[in-house]
Order: sequence, then structure tokens, then C-alpha cells
Amino acid sequence: MIEATTDELLGYLADVIEYAERYGAIVAPPYDAPEVEWTREGECLAMDIEIRPPVGRRARVDITLAERWRPIGADRWELDEYSYELRDFVLDYRRAFHQHDREDFVRFFGVATHEHCESVRGRPTCDHYAGVPCRDARDGLERLYVIWTAGAKPDCSQMRCIED
Amino acid sequence: MDRLYYTPKEVAEILRISDDAVLDLIGRHEIPALRVSARIIRIPVAGFDAWRDGRRPLRRRVRIADASEPKRPKIGDGERLPERALGLRR
Repeated sequence: MIEATTDELLGYLADVIEYAERYGAIVAPPYDAPEVEWTREGECLAMDIEIRPPVGRRARVDITLAERWRPIGADRWELDEYSYELRDFVLDYRRAFHQHDREDFVRFFGVATHEHCESVRGRPTCDHYAGVPCRDARDGLERLYVIWTAGAKPDCSQMRCIED
Repeated sequence: MDRLYYTPKEVAEILRISDDAVLDLIGRHEIPALRVSARIIRIPVAGFDAWRDGRRPLRRRVRIADASEPKRPKIGDGERLPERALGLRR
């Protein structure tokens, strides 16, 4: 979903949370409440959801789903930025799907979106990898869940560094 | 590490139904599933357990609110951006 009406965005946020909970994930406050919010930031609407996949008490895995939508007309919004991230503190890796600073990325690298892969968190071997754009937060969540359920560190060497 | 997912075949054995019946439940979005590739499907254990126990997510009411907290970090904040990565400045 790249463009949406306000009503569609309201339903979309409810869908994303429902989707995460169907996988058995725990949605962190404040999105665990019966009523949740898009946050107005200037002209934009923002979503910042934190999700914890079900793991043992001492383990910790975080998934965050963040989006910024900007107005493009009467009751029309466009997805401007997204960040879907997985941090596994047990296996110590990070994977992320990003769209931000689009003009710069297109100008310098010829891509609107990019990915991050750190097989050891905080120690990237490449700052930005090429990747497939996410359709929406549900797609981002599903792809991150596939990575997490593999139960192993991602092999970043198989990805294409766009800065080479 | 505990199991994180079942295969459709394992779910068929647990539910004592056919593999096709499991795929049908997945296709109808009854059983939560992840499509890893055209031929590989994973069923998250916690999601399956919740479905089998009849626990369904609560559908949220959604509204738009003004930011009450300090402004959140910008998406991509702290990241080395293309200009810096290439040593360029506009």
C-alpha cells in the first residue's frame, strides 16, 4: 500500500497489529490497548509499533515497524518512509528493511529502498544492501518473521552491497 | 532453542487431518503461516497454539492523535547516508 485514504490508514493499523498477534507475537504498549493511535507529527502521520516474538523469559527479540505517511491531497496519504527491523539479542544479529531519504538513495545508488544486515549487531560489513521493497508493514513483518524463525544468524555475505 | 515453527505436515499430524486440509486452512487464513518460498511454508508455533486454543487477536479501534511525547527519532537516524558514504555534499 503506497497511497491511502485516512479511513484506509485507520483500518491498516488495526490490520497490522492483528497480523502480528496472529503469529503469537506480543505487541508492546501503547499498541496493546483496545484503542490505538496514528500519531500526528507535523503534517505527517506516524506509526511506531514494537513487537516481541514469543521467546523464553530470558531471551529477547525485538521487531519494530515504523512508518511515516505524508499528505498528498484531500484525504490522501502517501507512504514516505518505513523501517521494519529485527534485533535478536540472543543470536546477536540485526536485519532491517528501510525506505528513507529517498531522493539521496535514488540519486547516488539508484534504489529507493535498502536493507541492513549485521550478523553481529553494530558491526556491519556494508552500510546498505540492495533488497526487494516491502509492500507494507505486514509484508515487512512476515519477511522478518521468516528470518527469525530460521533460528540462525543471517548470511549477509549472500546479499548485494549497494556501495560497492 | 525451542521449536519456532511447524511444517504443514507436522500440523497435519498434530490435528490428525490431511496435509491438504492443513493447506486449505492456511489458504483460508485460518492457521497463521509464513510463506518462505513457493514451496516452503512455516507455521509459527505460538501462532498455531493460539489458533488451536481459540485465542483470536482483539481488533483495535484506531484514531489519530497529536504527538504527546517528545518527537521520535527520524527513520534512518544515525545511519551513514549516501552523501556521507560517498564523501559528497550537496
